[in-house]
Amino acid sequence: MKCGLEIHVQLETDSKLFCDCRTNYQDTPANNNVCHVCLNQPGAKPYPTNEKALEGALKIALMLDCKIAKEITYFMRKHYNYPDLSSGYQRTSIPIGYEGDLNGVRIREVHMEEDPGQYKPDTGTVDFNRSGIPLIEIVTEPDMKSPEEARKFLKELIRVLEYSGNARGEGTMRADVNISLEGGKRVEIKNVNSIKGAYKALKFEMVRQKNLLKRGVEVTQETRAFLEAQMITVSMRLKEEAEDYRYIPDPDLPPMKSDDSQVQGIKEKMPEPPHIKTKRFMDEYHLAEEHAKVLTSELELADTYEEVVKEIEAEFAALWMRDELKRVIYYNKMTFMESEITTSQIIELLQMLKDKEITTKAGQRIIEQLPQSSKSPRSIAEEMGLVGIVNEDEVLNAAKKAIEENPTTVEDYHQGKKAAMNFLVGQVMKLTRGKAEPGNTVKILRDLLS
Amino acid sequence: MNILEKSELIKNQEFTARENVERFSEIIEKKNPQINAFLEINKEQAQKKALEIDERLKNGEEVGKLAGLVIGIKSNINVEDFTISAASPTLENYLGSYDATVVKRIKAEDGIIIGMTNMDEFAAGSSTESSYYGPTNNPAAPGLIPGGSSGGSAAAIAAGMCDLALGSDTGGSIRNPASHCGVIGFKPTYGAVSRQGLLDLAMSLDQIGPFAGDTSGIALMLESIAGLDPQECTSMEWEVPPFSNLVGENAKETLKGMKLGIVKQFQEVTDRPIVKIIEKSIDQMQEMGAEVVELSFDYIDLCLPTYYLINYVELFSATRKYDGRKYGSKIEEVCGEEVLRRIHMGSYISQKEFSGKYYKKALQARSLIRKEVTRLLKDVDLLVGPTVPKLPHKVGSTLEPLEMYAYDVLTVMANLAGIPAGSLKAGEVKGVPVGLQMQGKPLEDAKIIQAMDAFENLNK
Repeated sequence: MKCGLEIHVQLETDSKLFCDCRTNYQDTPANNNVCHVCLNQPGAKPYPTNEKALEGALKIALMLDCKIAKEITYFMRKHYNYPDLSSGYQRTSIPIGYEGDLNGVRIREVHMEEDPGQYKPDTGTVDFNRSGIPLIEIVTEPDMKSPEEARKFLKELIRVLEYSGNARGEGTMRADVNISLEGGKRVEIKNVNSIKGAYKALKFEMVRQKNLLKRGVEVTQETRAFLEAQMITVSMRLKEEAEDYRYIPDPDLPPMKSDDSQVQGIKEKMPEPPHIKTKRFMDEYHLAEEHAKVLTSELELADTYEEVVKEIEAEFAALWMRDELKRVIYYNKMTFMESEITTSQIIELLQMLKDKEITTKAGQRIIEQLPQSSKSPRSIAEEMGLVGIVNEDEVLNAAKKAIEENPTTVEDYHQGKKAAMNFLVGQVMKLTRGKAEPGNTVKILRDLLS
Repeated sequence: MNILEKSELIKNQEFTARENVERFSEIIEKKNPQINAFLEINKEQAQKKALEIDERLKNGEEVGKLAGLVIGIKSNINVEDFTISAASPTLENYLGSYDATVVKRIKAEDGIIIGMTNMDEFAAGSSTESSYYGPTNNPAAPGLIPGGSSGGSAAAIAAGMCDLALGSDTGGSIRNPASHCGVIGFKPTYGAVSRQGLLDLAMSLDQIGPFAGDTSGIALMLESIAGLDPQECTSMEWEVPPFSNLVGENAKETLKGMKLGIVKQFQEVTDRPIVKIIEKSIDQMQEMGAEVVELSFDYIDLCLPTYYLINYVELFSATRKYDGRKYGSKIEEVCGEEVLRRIHMGSYISQKEFSGKYYKKALQARSLIRKEVTRLLKDVDLLVGPTVPKLPHKVGSTLEPLEMYAYDVLTVMANLAGIPAGSLKAGEVKGVPVGLQMQGKPLEDAKIIQAMDAFENLNK
């Protein structure tokens, strides 16, 4: 199969694309962030294009390795009739960037659009708060060969958008998914609003089309809608019924030219795109791909890692940051940035571990205390009495005690119950206040029990 | 007494704003039932504003340039709380929800807006007969059309119902009725005046401009409304000349040494009696020291088709918002036949399968015309000639669309090229006014105003 995607995501700006209305439509009562321009009242003309939106779109295009259109950029009017579209046309720019690449998937073009309002068919009402919010649309070539590849691409794309700091991420994503199987025509699926949705829609469509082809039924070119709740697609219209948008250049918006110095300025300031950073981490720090990906999943985490490895050995730092640190921030449902954990906190903790001032177990307990805490790992360790590693004898004594006090568990152990060993290790930890090395403890317990 | 002198009288409190409003209200009350120049009047609001201005003058406070002058606005320019119908049933219940930039500026200069004037539906016409509210009568030639589409504004000036009026000009909609009604109408350079708040006919051609009974009024209004509007992308950054300082004093001198271009094709398409009056005017200007240069423009036949193709497509696009959901009726279900014809044509020729065949060709032709007009104007100061090639017809006569479109042959060029152009009365044919058109280089609006001022003084 071949799959191509058209992905729309909102650009992160304070004001709308063609007027001064605010863009926080989700926390505003319906039809409050509106004016004559974004309502397209009779006679209203667009204000000059929001510079920040244009800059964000350029940055994203550059991060996707696109060539930047040297020619003038202008907006087209795409005419269609729908209640959420207050002017009867949507302004959509000609490509700002083209011929890009993201991990081997070719990017055909990147352009800007304005978001329509939100129509609720059940109540028949429209909320125009969203009308005029800038969108970026990214169009790929049909380079994905499976639903899994499409999902992988989308995850990676969202990561790029997050890195850019100029887009609003998966929550505002709307995608059109194109799929064609060998022997069938191209089918476009609309109304896909998440990565999971894209994956499910492709899965469903692949099975549906395969079954048709198997039965010798022709797969015709058509547009289908994805029904999120049921995870199925249904036919919307055939190719013959395709809408004619009667594109014309918008006469109210004179052409703009992106000048070289602006592009150069954005290039200098823009972050290294995540997929390129991942590769560099693999080369520079000798990390496995999966680990490099975890560390580059968030720009701030990646930056912190690079600071940490100036002091701490790269592999050791990677191990702790990708496993323990990620586990803790994931558990707290935060991003790394939101956790407010600092580079110096991480360095101090890892240094203590390396110097064997604390055990691995203690390290884990300390790291759990770090989110949104300004305390140093050392003071946390001292407060919790976690400093120091117990000697072999103490562990041995604790192990003996644990065996003595839990005869039933010991019996379970001999009968081959795995949980029994975990329980005994836990008891030893309790007795040593977590200062015993878990690996060593298991060994000691095994020896005693054999 | 011209408008500038009147404005001085008001400022000097020799004549009050209240009296001015009172006088015009009476005339409107008396004449409007026959003329139908105004569609809506708000006398109370005008009186209130007049009293406020008089009060401020009494207290020695500053007032704006237009203080106390009474102004009519074409019904396609947004004025808060007036009905901005564009003379169409589509918008018969639409109250202006905001002030157009030009209206904001008029209000800031203490102009008194008395009401909204009649027009062809959505400005698509040259006779004001396609108004949903009935035709306007020509005060200068009763029984004949006033021209259009800003026929109400031109007639209001001609009938003495207000000091100044605003119109919009897409292919002649200010100059054509100015010519037929024997008043002055001026279409500024495209981008010289903000279109924010002007209902679209064809966005790339539309321009707001003033009507007045004399050039000083044009100058005063233009300097009040012109200049960059940061909230309208096609509005230009330019130094607005002090137009009202340029009129009056040495009026007769300004024509001395001015180079006037006469385009022979403009005369060729024009009815003989009109040409005779225009030729006489040119002779008079020559006598005042202007130099006349004969020019040739080979693309005159290209102008109308180019103009109408662009007009159709842009009107189609602009009217998509009138989908029946927000303003009552869906435009196609209630509009008149000319608007419907243009929407259908626009929809037809902007189809994907014709992309490149019509609209793109028209845009190419437009660049060609623009280039050619630049060449025409290269060695002259102004182009002078007739505004309209024929006299206005009787209200209610049936014209084929192409006959109607032929009215525009001499005026669309200025819109296609984006240049400034004005029309003022040159004479009469059997009592029917005939307009002289002057066109200049982009942003040389002042030159036209000065030449019009000189010509006006000559005929005094």
